[in-house]
Amino acid sequence: MLKQTNCPLSFGHCKLFWIVFVLFTFFIVFPVAYTLITALFTGGSFVDNLLLLNKGTFILLAKSCIIAFSIALFSTLFGTILGLLLYKTNVKYRSWFKIVLLIPLFISPYILAVAWKDFFFIFFNNTSFLSSTFGVILVLTTIFTPLSMLIIGSALSNIDTQLEETGFVITKLHRVIYKITLPLIKPAIISSFVLVFIFSISEFSVPAFFGVKVFTTEIFTQFSAFYNHSLAILQSTLLILICVLLLFSERKYIADAPFISVGGQGTKSKSYDLKNWGLLSVLFLFGWFFITVVLPFIILFVQSFKTGTSSFIQAFELLLPTFGNSIGLAFSGALIIVFVGFIAAYFSSRKAGKTFDWLLLIIFAIPSIIFGISLIKFYNHPILDFIYSGYAIILIGYVGKFSFISAKLIANAIKQIPLSLDEAAQIEGVTFSARLRKILIPLIMPSIIVSFIISFIFCLGELGITIMLYPPGTEIMPIKVFTIMANAPQSLTSSMTLIVFSITLLIITGFYFIVRPFLKKYNTAND
Amino acid sequence: MIKLNNITHSYGSNPVLHHLNLDFAPNQLTCLLGGSGCGKTTILRLIAGLEIPQEGQVLIEDKIVTENTQIIIPPYQRNTGFIFQDLALWPHFTVYKNIAFGLTERREKHVKETVFKMLSFFGLQEHVQKYPHQLSGGQKQLVAISRSLVLKPKILLMDEPLSNLDVKLKRKILEHIKNLKQSREFGADLTIIYVTHDHKEAFAIADKIVVLNKGKIEETGTVEQIKKSENKFVKYFLEY
Repeated sequence: MLKQTNCPLSFGHCKLFWIVFVLFTFFIVFPVAYTLITALFTGGSFVDNLLLLNKGTFILLAKSCIIAFSIALFSTLFGTILGLLLYKTNVKYRSWFKIVLLIPLFISPYILAVAWKDFFFIFFNNTSFLSSTFGVILVLTTIFTPLSMLIIGSALSNIDTQLEETGFVITKLHRVIYKITLPLIKPAIISSFVLVFIFSISEFSVPAFFGVKVFTTEIFTQFSAFYNHSLAILQSTLLILICVLLLFSERKYIADAPFISVGGQGTKSKSYDLKNWGLLSVLFLFGWFFITVVLPFIILFVQSFKTGTSSFIQAFELLLPTFGNSIGLAFSGALIIVFVGFIAAYFSSRKAGKTFDWLLLIIFAIPSIIFGISLIKFYNHPILDFIYSGYAIILIGYVGKFSFISAKLIANAIKQIPLSLDEAAQIEGVTFSARLRKILIPLIMPSIIVSFIISFIFCLGELGITIMLYPPGTEIMPIKVFTIMANAPQSLTSSMTLIVFSITLLIITGFYFIVRPFLKKYNTAND
Repeated sequence: MIKLNNITHSYGSNPVLHHLNLDFAPNQLTCLLGGSGCGKTTILRLIAGLEIPQEGQVLIEDKIVTENTQIIIPPYQRNTGFIFQDLALWPHFTVYKNIAFGLTERREKHVKETVFKMLSFFGLQEHVQKYPHQLSGGQKQLVAISRSLVLKPKILLMDEPLSNLDVKLKRKILEHIKNLKQSREFGADLTIIYVTHDHKEAFAIADKIVVLNKGKIEETGTVEQIKKSENKFVKYFLEY
């Protein structure tokens, strides 16, 4: 085990870190803290404000928790099955499935919600099933299962093979999976559950589109329709409390776990031979791919062109002005996010500073819609108008929301690089910045690229924050679709979502082909 | 007891064993001695059924357990114990559960009694409720040996189990392994195959030594025979 150097984080040593840390705190953490604290204490005592929360609020919160719990449960369950199949067996076409099954994660939830509504309309001529709690659970489960699959798959591929092989000498395969493999990845299963729960309870677009009243839609209504800002923020505090508590408990559990499930010395992950189950497994994977990716696409396509090409052309004309803005915003957002993520990751994994990591985590745990409200309340001030009335406020929102994911991805990569590589250069007198540029960054480049792509796609499809923050007159893709689809004919809504779906798919495919040779080169060099 | 007939095995394009024939006599402690990449660990893994050869047969007690690219008898039915270099103690189980797991999986009776007998043989009683990360290197080693022996295997496969220990601890555990062979309870009818690259370790415990080089057998014999060997490679290997 490598010893980490103990940096006192003095300004002289870590200038860059301090600059980024202070900017992040000033532009993101401070506005959120300020808005929440003032809302809790203005107009009366804290207790008086708490009394604003009636029985109905808590019933709605309980309903949201049950929905989020169900989505987290199903996503983790299916994610574990898919993870086991793709990362632990010799199932055919697994490399291909590993990529294509991730697609729903990168498509904005509202797009898939539209597709499923169209599906029920075409085949059952009735969408009442979807306009219910079950509909929200169904659609969000298909969206978040890939996230669980990714987290659980990554843990599965890192298990020390010898731990399982010792089991094979003693008992049958299914017993080894049940008694050894699954308990070893328990931290990943819990992380997956907690993350999906937080994403689900924060999700706004799907329940709003299906007309299901949940806590986030209630907060949105209180804020946007009734202008009852203090109640909206008070309600938000409850949601933040739940999310932060869950994340803290998860972190504490992982820190206190009496074991580490990963990190076998020089052992490669072993694939189980599926034997007679091979064909059935491929069929299951293909079925999942068809239901979560192909079917929504076909349905949107059919609905868009049902009445000819006029709806599609109209949708394209409506969306055309938003392409440049959306792509530019997503690109700038992703660049800043990766930079902030790298700084936080480097200092949390190599130095003594964990505070930044915690701040990123807390901001990430705040549901998008509430985060958006906090930023509006703070920046809606004449002095800060240059931020409030332009795209800067949206960028601040993106950076606050997604830097945690980027930092997590990059930190995992940094932890894999032996500290001795850096120390060897340090002894030779190489400066800190040169060591970063010439040693560390090239070695973790694949993770930086992946982090950029994920941040770009998340920013491109983000709705919860953007809908709260977009300045009047600005043209952004998800906002355009969401505002028009409330009153537009079905074929126009489908056409617009089909275009956004196709653009996202094209961008993912484009990135894949551009980056693949690059990643290969780095992986070969690092072998 | 154990026979490897005409075994050929490679990892990708990297050949490890080429038409290897090797027999292991019952109730003996045989050391497979050789440098890195000579195929010692592969031989153990083939016997355990954790690896499938491209060609050849593995026989245990005259039964074919692996043939060409097919596992005929799965690992858990071969009555073998395997101790890995990294020991592979299950980190989520206590010492007791690590040792008892195999017994409960096989629905054996008197699990608790058997486990405690094993623990007292190795002097581990006071660590019964500890997790592997709370044990010292030597204690971990003994737990790994206990875990394999508690199932009363006929074959014990040990893959450089002492490579991470200091000299003093190594001696102590080697003493345990020697005693084990003489123990009626746990060592009777036990065939041990012990992989090492340290000839001193092999000389201290082996009944028979097989010296391997690049997937081929250079020399076979007792400790004395190996010491007196005129084989060029063996001489060179023992010198360093």
